[in-house]
Amino acid sequence: MAEQERRDAEAGGDAAAVASHASSMQRVKVYRLTDGGKWDDQGTGHVSIDYIEGSKELGLTVLDEEDNETLLMHNITSDDIYRKQEETIISWRDREAATDLALSFQEAAGCSYIWEHICEIQRNLQFSNLGALEVGPRQSSESLEASRIMHSNDDSFRSANGEFRELPPVELSNLPFILKTVLEGGITDQIHVAELITQDRDFFPKLVDIFRMCEDLENIDDLHMIFKLVKGIILLNSPSIFDKIFSDEFILDIIGALEYDPEVPRVQKHRAFLKDHVVFKEAIHIENVSVVSKIHQTYRIGYLKDVILPRILDDATLASLNTMIHSNNASVISLLKDDALFIRQLFARMRSSDISMESKRELVLFLHEFCTLSKSLPLVQQLRLFRDLSGEGVFEIISEVLQSQDRKIVSAGTDILILFLNQDPNLLRSYIVQQEGNSLLGLLVKGMVTDFGEEMHCQFLEILRILMDSFTMSGAHRDIIIEIFYERHLDYLVDVIASSCPLRSLSRSTSNSVRVGGNAEGHRIKPEILLNVCELLCFCVVHHPYRIKCNFLINNAIEKILTLTRRREKFLVVAAVRFMRTIISRNDEHLIRHVVKFNLLKPIIDVFVDNGERYNMLHSGVLELLEYIRKENIKALILYVIETFWEQDELAKFEHFGSIQAFKLKYNQYMESVEQRLNASVPDMRKKAEQRGLEKEEEDYFNEDSDEEDSGSGRRPKHAQNQHSKPKPKVPNGSEADDTDGASRPKSAGLVDYDDDDDEDFNPPPKEPSRPAEDDVPLNISPVKRKPVNAVDGKHADGEGRRRQKIETRISCAKIAAVTSTAIKHTDLQNKHASHLPTSATPSTEANGVFRERGTNSEEHQHSVENTETSRQAGSDCIKDVGSMSPEKAVNTTNTSDSEPYSVR
Amino acid sequence: MGTSDLDRQIEQLKRCEPLTEAEVKALCLKAMEILVEESNVQRVDAPVTICGDIHGQFYDMKELFKVGGDCPKTNYLFLGDFVDRGFYSVETFLLLLALKVRYPDRITLIRGNHESRQITQVYGFYDECLRKYGSVNVWRYCTDIFDYLSLSALIENKIFSVHGGLSPAITTLDQIRVIDRKQEVPHDGAMCDLLWSDPEDAVDGWGLSPRGAGFLFGGNVVSSFNHSNNIDYICRAHQLVMEGYKWMFNNKIVTVWSAPNYCYRCGNVAAILELDENLNKQFRVFEAAPHESRGVPAKRPAPDYFL
Repeated sequence: MAEQERRDAEAGGDAAAVASHASSMQRVKVYRLTDGGKWDDQGTGHVSIDYIEGSKELGLTVLDEEDNETLLMHNITSDDIYRKQEETIISWRDREAATDLALSFQEAAGCSYIWEHICEIQRNLQFSNLGALEVGPRQSSESLEASRIMHSNDDSFRSANGEFRELPPVELSNLPFILKTVLEGGITDQIHVAELITQDRDFFPKLVDIFRMCEDLENIDDLHMIFKLVKGIILLNSPSIFDKIFSDEFILDIIGALEYDPEVPRVQKHRAFLKDHVVFKEAIHIENVSVVSKIHQTYRIGYLKDVILPRILDDATLASLNTMIHSNNASVISLLKDDALFIRQLFARMRSSDISMESKRELVLFLHEFCTLSKSLPLVQQLRLFRDLSGEGVFEIISEVLQSQDRKIVSAGTDILILFLNQDPNLLRSYIVQQEGNSLLGLLVKGMVTDFGEEMHCQFLEILRILMDSFTMSGAHRDIIIEIFYERHLDYLVDVIASSCPLRSLSRSTSNSVRVGGNAEGHRIKPEILLNVCELLCFCVVHHPYRIKCNFLINNAIEKILTLTRRREKFLVVAAVRFMRTIISRNDEHLIRHVVKFNLLKPIIDVFVDNGERYNMLHSGVLELLEYIRKENIKALILYVIETFWEQDELAKFEHFGSIQAFKLKYNQYMESVEQRLNASVPDMRKKAEQRGLEKEEEDYFNEDSDEEDSGSGRRPKHAQNQHSKPKPKVPNGSEADDTDGASRPKSAGLVDYDDDDDEDFNPPPKEPSRPAEDDVPLNISPVKRKPVNAVDGKHADGEGRRRQKIETRISCAKIAAVTSTAIKHTDLQNKHASHLPTSATPSTEANGVFRERGTNSEEHQHSVENTETSRQAGSDCIKDVGSMSPEKAVNTTNTSDSEPYSVR
Repeated sequence: MGTSDLDRQIEQLKRCEPLTEAEVKALCLKAMEILVEESNVQRVDAPVTICGDIHGQFYDMKELFKVGGDCPKTNYLFLGDFVDRGFYSVETFLLLLALKVRYPDRITLIRGNHESRQITQVYGFYDECLRKYGSVNVWRYCTDIFDYLSLSALIENKIFSVHGGLSPAITTLDQIRVIDRKQEVPHDGAMCDLLWSDPEDAVDGWGLSPRGAGFLFGGNVVSSFNHSNNIDYICRAHQLVMEGYKWMFNNKIVTVWSAPNYCYRCGNVAAILELDENLNKQFRVFEAAPHESRGVPAKRPAPDYFL
């Protein structure tokens, strides 16, 4: 239907009108000039052009619409006597009638239709005369004879049921009729016409002759008609016609005919472009002539489709042309790929060192096109081809290409990689995991941070993303690639960010007035590159939660990445917020605890406050982040944000924003519930709680350090490690962090270390680990009593941890997975993460990777995960019936009691 | 990229000649810096002329500028759906983006449901980029910029403008504030609804949308939204209306459609809504560009080929 509509609207607007309004189009009044100089109405009838009985000449006939009497009969002459007036009148001086006659048309379209006919017949008469002169009389009289027979009655072209039996011979005078036939009629007629055209072996040769003749004579009107005819024929959408007109024999003339679009004022020079500007390059000589011919044909069809006729083609015809191009490509690629000699030559040339840069470049571009077009092959063949190419060493060649100075071929090289990755990422993955392929990953990472000027800035990001997409990866490659990436490249990327950002955050007072640009000492990395790196890191957080967590926790990478907030470009600041949002949306208690401990939301809140009332993407991004924390009920963060930033960081002054208000309200609710509980069940503790309920909270979250001091030996290594890697871990930005640190430290003294309990996670049956963890919370209240238990657990865990530490980092994952698979069950959190990944074994491996590398330190984190995790899950339902020092503890206590039955079991 | 460069590019784009890949990249980065400062509900001052879907009908957009006046003489607010379906999505979007970079305060572009990676891969923009540039980098730059486009606009605190319509998740304008719009158009939620929903007479309250995203919403929803946010009416696009514009729900919401003869075959006229400084309305209806005024398709294929 759409096709038909479009045809009506575009292709054959005029012709469609002819079809539907034939009778009204033919309706005319006949006038005759009287001697008195008045136009006398002779009657109304229908006009037609036909052979006049008993004459060899074509003439105008008007039959009275009422009685079918002949109102007018006029032989059309080649003399220049006809005039078209206004839109609807044709008049002439009639020799026979010895007076002026005029036809007044009801419709302008009908008038121009007849007018065109008259002009054509006139021209034809002139040609016949010319022909008679040049070639002799026979031909012209013959053809006239023929056309006369054919034309004597329209009915002879139609059988009784209206089907066309045959087309008139292709001659200029017949073109209007042929055009009409092609454009009119329903779908069956069109199919039939297409058949007739295909069967007539002379059709296109003749049409081309006429076209050339008209072009030589610069006969624009006829050229316009030929354009319409060719267009109409193409829209018949017949594969066998396409085969004909796109053959080497006709295609250029067909394209030539399409240069004369009556609706485009200037004549288009398509042939000149194709002949003079388009270059067919043979990077490697192709022997097979039919392949070469197909290659040309494909290009020309594409040109016709995209350049000449894009607005004319209907969907069905477009689809047919695409199919032709597609199948041409397929057969070209297929023939070439099966040509062993050709492929061998191609790779030998690409490897050869004694070819010019220019030929090298051509070869790479050829390879690019070759790989691009292979999409036309059936999937299986495509896969096989890519496998073969990688067997031939395509990746080594790309590795070399990526080191080229020529950006165009680097770009082609990356595009080729993307083609491979989209087809079967494992080909590239398995190359990279080999020793010699390792460097390619490095090149890709390097490419990501390389300034390629104005071209290209996202291909490398895309490649790395597909390469490390944990949702599609499977098997051993995945872990190895991730391992290589994290071991060798992640830190580099993080450092690229850190070194490109100002060392110090700009203080609040100066930031609004003077925003210093990038770090002068740092590399001059373009902002769009930093944006990509940040994007990749967000991707990693989502895809490799365990692996990256480990890295982040050890190296303070998050803090480094957040230095992006110091950049002048607001979109980088927004990217940093997004990165933090991604981290937090993991809902990973390790990470959340890490965020709190190192005060990592500080840079975010700072830029938010600096931004003031401006309603921009930064503003919305941070609000959304806070909204997420509130809705997910991440208590640790709610408490942390309000207690750290409400007063001193002036978050309070944004309270008029609904979401900030709601956030504060959430906090207040926690506080109130604590109070209620205190009132209800722990009267003796109330006073203390009231005084320091809030601070207590802080303690829990802020004072890991002091916890560690309290705890046994298991702790120290971790503490030391943290201190080592970052002397002032909590102080990313300066004095305010110091304050927080100082404030929380003294209070933390009373806390008991319960980190060791986490260690249990490693070995015991499912439910147990979480219970001891919960037990710890009460320990905070009555440390003395519980301590021994902890100590025991701690030792146990400690040993386990150390043993793990010894295990090679690059172990066979499966083994570890098996050993530690129980660990997964320990926490809901882990289960949650596991569900994101294709196999449950791997996450556990990754999780254990954390422990392995961090030793007891990570165990502490593990503990806290469960601790907070369980509290989060407990939700507010449980809060009421517990009395405790702080909300946090209250929740934990609740959990403890909830889980008691389990522990008994 | 200096002003003169930009002016040259605008002139070039006005002739429907696309920019080079490098120019597109630079333009997009510049646009990113500007758009990142815009609000989810971008404030717009009157007088302003509001335009609906364009869908890559470049020459018809030129008609639009003929009828409405050139930017920056006239202030414009475009309600999204710049790309897909027409033949000149690249030129259309880049011209608007270049105008945005050149005259940030004179033209506002908000996001339509077609400004999305997913949708453009199906409805033409992706293919067009691939065809015109031989690679999809330009598509990548443009779709990255889509993520920065604002979600709605508020004219003089009185007229709320959005591409699609309302969302059950949004009862006050302030709720739009907390959307982090730097993302692909999601499949559900407030951001999705703003870009996908349609008003519907037959619906009371909220109804399922046949589009598979967003909702249908009835007159009562619009009334209460307008009342609680103290706005006069909602102006949106997103649906073809044969007359170019259409009021619904007792003048509480108006659809403006600016792609005449949509898809080059629908036979509709298009409209833009001109608001003077007192918010007096005047719809200007226009038709598709005459055939002659359309140049040859600008696309020149690669001048060389191997296969």
